[in-house]
Amino acid sequence: MRRSPAGSAVKLRAGAGTNRLHPALSALAVGTLVFLYLPLAAVAGMSLNTARFGAAWKGFSLRWYAQLLNNEVVLHAAANTLVLAAVSTAISTVLGTLLAIGLERFPWPRWMRRIVDGVVYVPVVTPDIVFAVGMLLAFEAARQVLGGLRLGMGTMIAAHVTFQISFVALVVGSRLATLGRSVEEAARDLYAGTWHALRRVTLPLIAPGIVSGAMLAFTLSLDDFVISFFTSGPSSVTLPLYIYGSLRRGITPEIHALSTIVFLVTVALVLGLQVLARNPEKE
Amino acid sequence: MNRLLVWYGELATTRKLTSRGLALLAVPLAWIILLLVAPLGAMMAWSAASRSASGDIEWTLSAANFLRLAGFDSFGWTRSYLVILGTTILVSAVTTIVTIALAYPLAFAIARRPPAHRYLWLALIIIPFCTNLVIRTYAWMLLLGSQMPPARLVQWLHFIGPSEALYPSRFAVYIGMVSNSLPFAVLPLYTNVERLDWAIVEASRDLYSGPVRTFMHGILPQTFPGLVTAIILTFIPAMGAFVIPDLLGGGKSWMLGNLIQHQFGVSRDFPFGAAVSLVLTFLTMIGLLVLRRSGDEVSIL
Amino acid sequence: MRKLAIVLFCCALLAACGRSSSGSAGGSAAGTASVTVFMYSEYIDPALVQKFEKETGLKIVLDTYENTEEMMSKVSSAGDQYDVVVVSDHAIPVMAARGTFRTLDVQKIPNARNISKRFTRPPYDPEGKYSLPYQWGTMGLIYRTDKLPGFVPSWAAVLDPARQPGPVVLLDSMRDLMAAALFHRGFSPNSRNAAELKSAGELLRASRTKKMVGFYGSPDSVGKVLAGDAWVGIAYNGDAVAKLDQNTDFVVPREGTIIWVDAMTIPAKAPNPAGALKFMDFILRPDVGAQLSNFLDYATPNEASLPLIKPEVRNDARVYPPDSQTAKMVMLEDAREATTLYDQVWTRVKAGE
Repeated sequence: MRRSPAGSAVKLRAGAGTNRLHPALSALAVGTLVFLYLPLAAVAGMSLNTARFGAAWKGFSLRWYAQLLNNEVVLHAAANTLVLAAVSTAISTVLGTLLAIGLERFPWPRWMRRIVDGVVYVPVVTPDIVFAVGMLLAFEAARQVLGGLRLGMGTMIAAHVTFQISFVALVVGSRLATLGRSVEEAARDLYAGTWHALRRVTLPLIAPGIVSGAMLAFTLSLDDFVISFFTSGPSSVTLPLYIYGSLRRGITPEIHALSTIVFLVTVALVLGLQVLARNPEKE
Repeated sequence: MNRLLVWYGELATTRKLTSRGLALLAVPLAWIILLLVAPLGAMMAWSAASRSASGDIEWTLSAANFLRLAGFDSFGWTRSYLVILGTTILVSAVTTIVTIALAYPLAFAIARRPPAHRYLWLALIIIPFCTNLVIRTYAWMLLLGSQMPPARLVQWLHFIGPSEALYPSRFAVYIGMVSNSLPFAVLPLYTNVERLDWAIVEASRDLYSGPVRTFMHGILPQTFPGLVTAIILTFIPAMGAFVIPDLLGGGKSWMLGNLIQHQFGVSRDFPFGAAVSLVLTFLTMIGLLVLRRSGDEVSIL
Repeated sequence: MRKLAIVLFCCALLAACGRSSSGSAGGSAAGTASVTVFMYSEYIDPALVQKFEKETGLKIVLDTYENTEEMMSKVSSAGDQYDVVVVSDHAIPVMAARGTFRTLDVQKIPNARNISKRFTRPPYDPEGKYSLPYQWGTMGLIYRTDKLPGFVPSWAAVLDPARQPGPVVLLDSMRDLMAAALFHRGFSPNSRNAAELKSAGELLRASRTKKMVGFYGSPDSVGKVLAGDAWVGIAYNGDAVAKLDQNTDFVVPREGTIIWVDAMTIPAKAPNPAGALKFMDFILRPDVGAQLSNFLDYATPNEASLPLIKPEVRNDARVYPPDSQTAKMVMLEDAREATTLYDQVWTRVKAGE
């Protein structure tokens, strides 16, 4: 955080720019947010519609929600989805951060950086289907070596972590790249040990990157269909799989109710985390 | 050669740094290599093989798959494959440009919020993603229908006929693609924008630069790594997309993603699918190399 | 730091809960007291599942798939986890050739004798060794009666640029749409002749006029015609007939159409083959077959169930076509080496201008 030269008419508040956003840009930002939420609004609207088909409004009704809450298959799928996302995000955030730090904060020769970069990009670049087929091959090989590997929650988590690592590493890496050396060097000058410097200086500095990366990873896992399908077993159905499976008969308002509930639960989770975060521990 | 050097203020030897670095990299790299890179390498070998009559892989090595991708198949030459390639690149490029253009103001707007609220806003950007992609796409199909306000507005402006819908169309595909890519662009941009040194921007203003110059010389270089990541996270998935072009485009304009999916799905022509994937990966790698090269030259404060 | 700890703790908690819940479900699936069935989604009456469980004491674990290729991939990688797999006809020869299926011990399935003659030795399983039919149906045209009062039931209505009456929707399924084009050109839908395929492909490319709205799946095709966004669409009879209103109707084109059959099979490495056989026998019971078809509104291959089908469906020519029509219906076979030809033609049809 830099201080403006003394006597300047401009005051810089902590963390925020004085740079007032041009009203047009502000409007654009708001418009973009609305644009992002339009489909959700449509889905929520349709879930409250009595009509089973079509967009014509036939009356307000909560019956799809009632039907949904009695549906055990859906509830089981929802639980699976959450567990899958949470566990894989946890693992991949740790591994991805390690990867980013290991790559950015060490004097690797150029050729090595290029190669590691390349490897990190592979999961990002690969189309979903190809990724899924690749994972199946890997599990097949593992089965030959280890014997008795069944497709299920474990294989799905492994598959999700594989692509999540790269995304986390990319986001954290870009954050690391923008950080100057100065703060970490200053920490060293003040006799901080390696571990201490890492924990108290580097990690807090890249925390926004880690959190962004984790959120990205969580989202990717929640929504994933193709990879989950190919690596899941008979009893590890997730919500995307369930929803995609219902499309053959046409999307029912029950599915819309489901999507709306997922949306509301996520909002609740996020708000909950906000409240938790407002606790004394200041950044 | 074990040199002594000062790295980030610490006196260390290269050997020590290397071992420490490798310790950090070992697990994640091994994970990716074993679970993905190795099998993909094996798959790439498939691209030189052919499909047997029953859909298995026949190891009669040939370049037939690549020739087919260039348009030379059993029926003679067709430009269909090049059209598919062209459509893919065009749609991905436009999607990326529009997405980044919308992501920057959004990133700025979030960075201006008080620090306690920023994660909330970021989460708000992500939340629409918790809905399944197909559901969201169907929702767009509904929203762009001929009876709904957006289509009515465009009909009134006489851009389209009286009871036409806004989909299926290329425009609808862009809408779907952009709304699907925004979170991936905003997040990396935000991590840079949050760290932006506004003093430089102020200085540029003080020196009478217009907004464009300020952006190009003040903001862009500082957010470059984030921008690169944003472009990567937008362009590359766009190149492989198949759900949105199918649903919102009416399935009338195949992209590479559709072609690949068809090979691994209906036709079970894994060798050809591997060949197309190889080409797709190759194209994106080129793009990446270009971006990274310019990325390396940016000097960070 | 504390925040991080809280989040990680929550994740660990969730993981612990999750493992116990999915573990118990997984455990019961692995036990011998269950039958794992793999079929299209929403393809069985839940009441029948409960009936089976009550009568036999075996638990049914139902897994579903969206399309045949995904199913083939799952069965080849997780074939030792499924007991019964419902497979579409054209995939059966391919999978049988790779040894995916167990030979059925028909002695243990007394109700197999209930199956109608035309399904007992079908082209996709000539010796009836691997499969027993589950449901069948046809593909045809759904059209708006209010816009097209004198509708001529021909594939030309969707494929011929000169005869498309208004907005039309084509089916986004390679073999099915190619079959329609091949029928219209007078060829067999199982043609492996390059010239014939090329001709069909050209017809399809020509059909991409301004009136052709797009390629959609069967449910969406029905939806579009119902909504009035299209006047004619291609769909499977089961999807169409269930949703017709007073302004729409379904008809089978006069050039001929395909019959599709979904059949039950048992993977070679099934964990509970005895249970699988019980399940198949159960499905082929006259009352069960009737309940199934009455629920799904598809046609049953079970001769003994026919008397028990709802009369309005049994007499509906759209679900149970008369023999004069079925004489011209063909079941799709695997195209074998000609699959690449189909693909190449299809790519030309689907690529943009």
